[in-house]
Amino acid sequence: MSQTETAIRNCREEFPRVVDAVDRFAAEHRLSQGVVGDMQVALDEILTNIVDYGYTDHADHEIRIRLRVIDNVLEAAIEDDGFPFNPLESHAPDVSAQLSERRAGGLGIHFVKNLMTEIIYDRVGNRNLLVLRKNLTT
Amino acid sequence: MDLNEEQAGGVTVLQVMGRIDSTTAPVLGERLTAMVGAAGARVVVDFSQLDYISSAGFRILLLAAKRADQTTSKLVLCGVSGKVRQLFDLGGFLDLFTIAHTREEGIAAAG
Repeated sequence: MSQTETAIRNCREEFPRVVDAVDRFAAEHRLSQGVVGDMQVALDEILTNIVDYGYTDHADHEIRIRLRVIDNVLEAAIEDDGFPFNPLESHAPDVSAQLSERRAGGLGIHFVKNLMTEIIYDRVGNRNLLVLRKNLTT
Repeated sequence: MDLNEEQAGGVTVLQVMGRIDSTTAPVLGERLTAMVGAAGARVVVDFSQLDYISSAGFRILLLAAKRADQTTSKLVLCGVSGKVRQLFDLGGFLDLFTIAHTREEGIAAAG
């Protein structure tokens, strides 16, 4: 199977299902532990952002995660109907502040930008479509 | 994520194995905050068996380090290598925490 899709509700309790889906997909495609770790971290950050900041209506929403390997690239496409959020436009956190002034905000997106080879964002209708790509050779 | 706690000459060593992400970070946070919450506690966290840590984990570590400052406890990290070290570096955390190379050096630094 070259592609797999997982749909979760917008709550953190659902995240382990995505972690498991990535693990299964990685095993099927014999992906390296480094590549899988980077994608797991990136997905944890993106899904956390969607669940924490994407909605204010307290209703259930579906988030879809599609994984595939194409042209020696591991790709995760995340689709949600939350508020428009383009991670590429978020500002880098101050990673040089001392402990007392240090905040963890913004760190997750900073990780995603640095761990992934390529990030593509699109707003299609009322949906965010984010594509994360990781080269399998790096 | 699995946690294993050991005592070594007045120093508590917490080994964290597997993955720290938004699902597992709260469990680590609860344990770690309790450990450094006692006045003058000496704690080493061993990451040598850790696969990766997401920002949710770093948020927990920041809180634990600040709590340790308040209680004059010592919090030392060790076994920060490979992928985990790369994430510490990306977040600018290598200079923020006391990081020892090995568990033995960590125990010496905390004791």
